[in-house]
This record gives sequence, C-alpha cells and structure tokens, in this order.
Amino acid sequence: MSDTVTKNEPPRHVASTAAMLTPTQRMLREAWSKPSFKFGFFTFTVLLLGALIYPEISSIDPTKMNIKARHTPPLFVGDWSWAHPLGTDHLGRDLLVRCLVGLRYSVLIGCATVVMMFIVGCGLGLLSGFKGKFTDTIIMRITDAQLSIPMIILAIAILGVSRPTVPAIILVLGLSGWPLYARVARSVTLSEKSKEYIKGQRVLGASDWRIIFLFVAPAVLPPIAFVAVLDVARMMIFESILGFLGLGVQPPTPTFGNIIADGRKYLINAWWIATMPGLFLLFTLTSLNLMGSALEGARNNVLKGAA
Amino acid sequence: MDGSASAHARKARRLYLLIFLSRRLLQGAVVLLIVTFAIFTLLRVVPGDPARLIVGGMAPDEVVVQKAEELGLNDPIPVQFLKYLGEIARGDLGNSFVRAKSGSMGGAVAFDDPSRGDRAEVLDLIVERVPLTLQLAGLAVVFALIISFPLGVAAGLNPGSWKDKLAFFAGSVFVSVPNFWLGIVLALLFSVQLGILPSIGYKGFEYTILPAFVLAIEMAPFIIRTLSVSIAQVMQEEFISVAPLRGLMRSRIVGAHAIRNASIPLLNLFGIQLGSLLGGVLVIEFIFDYPGLGRLTINAVLQRDFPLIQGIAIFISGMFVFINIAVDLAASFIDPRLEY
Repeated sequence: MSDTVTKNEPPRHVASTAAMLTPTQRMLREAWSKPSFKFGFFTFTVLLLGALIYPEISSIDPTKMNIKARHTPPLFVGDWSWAHPLGTDHLGRDLLVRCLVGLRYSVLIGCATVVMMFIVGCGLGLLSGFKGKFTDTIIMRITDAQLSIPMIILAIAILGVSRPTVPAIILVLGLSGWPLYARVARSVTLSEKSKEYIKGQRVLGASDWRIIFLFVAPAVLPPIAFVAVLDVARMMIFESILGFLGLGVQPPTPTFGNIIADGRKYLINAWWIATMPGLFLLFTLTSLNLMGSALEGARNNVLKGAA
Repeated sequence: MDGSASAHARKARRLYLLIFLSRRLLQGAVVLLIVTFAIFTLLRVVPGDPARLIVGGMAPDEVVVQKAEELGLNDPIPVQFLKYLGEIARGDLGNSFVRAKSGSMGGAVAFDDPSRGDRAEVLDLIVERVPLTLQLAGLAVVFALIISFPLGVAAGLNPGSWKDKLAFFAGSVFVSVPNFWLGIVLALLFSVQLGILPSIGYKGFEYTILPAFVLAIEMAPFIIRTLSVSIAQVMQEEFISVAPLRGLMRSRIVGAHAIRNASIPLLNLFGIQLGSLLGGVLVIEFIFDYPGLGRLTINAVLQRDFPLIQGIAIFISGMFVFINIAVDLAASFIDPRLEY
C-alpha cells in the first residue's frame, strides 16, 4: 500500500514542479543537465575563488620584485619547487599571484561592461521598439553607425587620448558594445507589443512605462542572458588587448594584457612569462564560453518544447 | 505566354533591386554621416591640442596659437565639421599631422623646418595599405574555411554525435583564444624555435601566413557554428529527404543542396562579423608589425594623428556599409526567393 504511494508520488511531483517553473528557471535547469555547463561552471568558480582568496592568504605581493629569483621557470619545467608554481617574470615577481590579480580586474571589467551594455542597449532597444516611427528610425541608424566602427578602434581612439582608469575602460567598452542588445530588445519589444495581452493592458488603462517594465522588459531577458555570458568573455579579451597595447589598467597593477606585453620582450629567455597568463585567460574564457553556449542550447530546447 | 510572364517577372525583379539598392545606399549615407560627425566631435572633445601636435613639442607657444588660427581650430565645432564635410566631398581627407610625404615620421624635425609643412595625404596613406590588408584578410578567410568546413559539415550532418561535440568544443576553445597571445605563441613556436615562418614585418608573401592563421582561428568558431546549425536544419527539409528517391548520391545531396543552402547564413555572418574581423586585423597587424591598415590605425591613434584617425574611421565604415549591401545582393542571387 505504502509502496504504491511512494512509487506514484515522485513522477507526479516532478511533473507539477516542471509546469510551475518559469521559462528562465527551465532554461537554467536544462543547461545544468549538460556536462559542458557543469564543467564550465566549476572551472570558473574555482578560478574565481582562487583569484579572490589566494592573493590575500599568500605572503607574496604581486608587485614585489625579487631580482635574485628572476626568470624562475614554472614548476613543471624546473626543479618542481612550489615557491613560484607558474614561475617568475623578469623582475622576479610571482606569475601565479599576478595572474590571479589580473583575473580580478579582468572579471570586474568584463562584468561591469556587460551590465553597462545591457542597460544602455536594452533601454534604447525598448524605447525604439515601443515608440516606433521617428524615434525608432533615429535609434536604429545610430545603432548601424555604431556597428560599422569596429569597437576596438573606438576604444583605442578614446583611451589613447585619455587616462585609462578602470571606470574609463568600463565606460568606453560599454558604450561601444551596446548595439546588439538594442537590436534584440527592439525585436522582442516589437513582437510582445502586438500580443493580445498587451493590448488588453492598454484597454485597462496601463501607462507606457507600466507596460514596458512589467511585461515587455522581462521578455527581453531570456534571449539576452546567454549573449551576456558570452559577452563577458568577449569583453575580457578586449580588456586584455587594451592592456597589451598599454591602454588598459596601468602598471604596476598586473593585468593579463600588460603581463603578456612585458613577457613578449623576454620570449627567448623566459617563454613562460607571456605564455602562462594567456593559458590562464584561455581557461577562464573557455569555461565562460562553455556556460554561455550551453545556456543558448538550453534556451533553444525550451523554446522547441514550448512550441 | 509563358515567356512574357517570365519577362514580366524579370522586369519586376529589376525594379525591386533598384529600389532596394537606392534605399540601402541612402541609409548607408546617413550612417556614414553619423559616424563622421561622431568621430569628428569625439576627437575635438578629447584632450590633446592638434596644433601643438602639428608643430611639435619644441615650438614656442606663439607658433601653436598661429597654427590653431590657420587651421580654424578656434571655430565652433559645427563650423569646423561643415568645412571638413566640404573637403571630403571634394575627395580630400586632409593631411596627416605627423607623417611626412617621404614616409619618415618627422617627429624629430624642428618646428621651423620647411619639411614640417610637407605632410602625407590621408587618402594616399590609406590606399597604399589596403592591398596588404586585403591579402591578409583574404588568406585568413581561406584558412578559416579550410579549418571550419570539415568540422562544421561533419557536425551538421551528425547532430549529437561525437563529431558534433568535437566541433562544439573546438569552437568554444577557438573563441576563447586571445588573438594577440596566440600570435605571440605561434611566432615563438614557428619563428624562434622552429625557424620555419617569418613573423615580423613584410618582405614577401610568406609574411602573411602566420598572421592570417591567427585571424583564421578567430573567425573559425563562427563559421563552424553557422555551418553546423544551418546544415542540420537543411538536412531535415523535405527536398533533402526525397533526394535519394531521385537517385542522387549522398555526396551530391550534401554538396549541391545542403552546403548551397547553408552558404546564405554564412554570407550574412560575414557581413555581421566584419566589424570584429577588422578589429582582429588591427591587433594582429600590430603584433606581427604587418604594414597594413591595422598597424596604420594603431600608430595613428598612439600618435594622435587626428586627420588620419578620422579618415580611417570613415573609410572603414564606408567599406562596412558597402560590403553589407554586397552581401545582401549576393544572397539574393544565390536564393532568388529572398526579399529585402
């Protein structure tokens, strides 16, 4: 008797919760079931925790020079000493600590930039799709114009003539990357706007702003979520390019870009200085990209299931 | 009767194309105008005195003031902008602030040296470098297609298989590689260690190979994805599933139908990705010291050569607009059903 109850219970339970989930939750659940998402998530979490914790508990200062220990190779090349696991640079600074501090800046700038692009892009896209007509035309032409200047040229042009501080970098990257968000937000707005329930809200006397914030804006989120995750990775690459060109966060603060730029001069004597930060960045970005792609796939599956 | 109907259709189509072209060209002109204005204003607002840049750091202040007056730098920005537009309309993008006609940088020349007035024309500087950049981009596209075609097609034909997973994973790794780092690592490997390929400067075609390969790795993930998605989609269509009944071989079905249909999303992708492709060219030319448009741009920015930056920005967005129109036209020839 009790057996049959427990046998029947779980499926019914699962079915009812699955029906209650919002599309966003279903998307996350679907993504979580993929090994690539889990792999990316764990790798990223470990790297991030490492970046947050290790430089604090380690006694090594990322900017402290130690000429006696300069050009120490990483442990798997030299004599397996844990003093400097990834080796040291031309001034004897520990590369592991420097990479981890660089990762902090990279993730900070990547995330803040995406938040900024998201706000600017979605704001303009919502406005464009909702107002239509003249406003729409103008915003869309500005979007085209923005798309036709490669972002990196714009960023280099602005940062080259102003002082590259963290807020300046975020502002410049964020201001040049919004067009995609504007386009997606606009197309979602257009399709939501024509739906029956929105018309119903209008009849009920809802204001434009109420409709935008309560009904249209939430619909914009799912198609943009994975783009945002992928964009964090893209922005981290841009940050490192800027750093490499000397237009990123300025030394002595270590960033992936400026460590690699330094290491490039010592390529023949100490190949690891330029190579290690790149591998570090490669791992971080791969983990982010795996997560983003898994989210995208999950969203497509959820859409297919709904249709 | 049939003939007159098709002639009619052709006529309608030609009219359609004409309307499409003129509308897109007009839109493109508006976009270019916005870009020009934005860049122009931006460069006037940011710190850094162009007059000082032209005459050099050693010049006395009176010379700077005189030069600013001469260039009309004291006029309000809209007036300066209209003047600039007038010059562009006559095909004159202005002269570089720092580059001499002879090709030397001229940085060390004294302020009263007559050769300071002899500056290279922006248009010449740009046009000179375009062929090398096109060569780099062209070779990169070839490499990218060679890398992505087997992966993308195999993944698209076998969704869910290990080939699909391999293509997904390869794409995720490729898209995560920082291009400048890959450039350095490959230069270390192939030039320093193995000594097979040159990597710095340009003295012949072999200097294009390494930079093109780095660019190809940057483009490959997008091509792989687009190919695998669109081929997987096409393979589910009815005309593919009945093709074996018509006696067609599988290789022909894939070659003639699946890939042909997948080429349209690929073309569109090219139009969309052009911007980031150009960004990649910029950085990679800088790493490999490849004397193309990208290195010119970065140096122009680092030297604050405002007319050159403006000229390049306008040139690049003009190209962007033009190529996107060309992409749409080409797509409509591949698949005449497409509407604009």
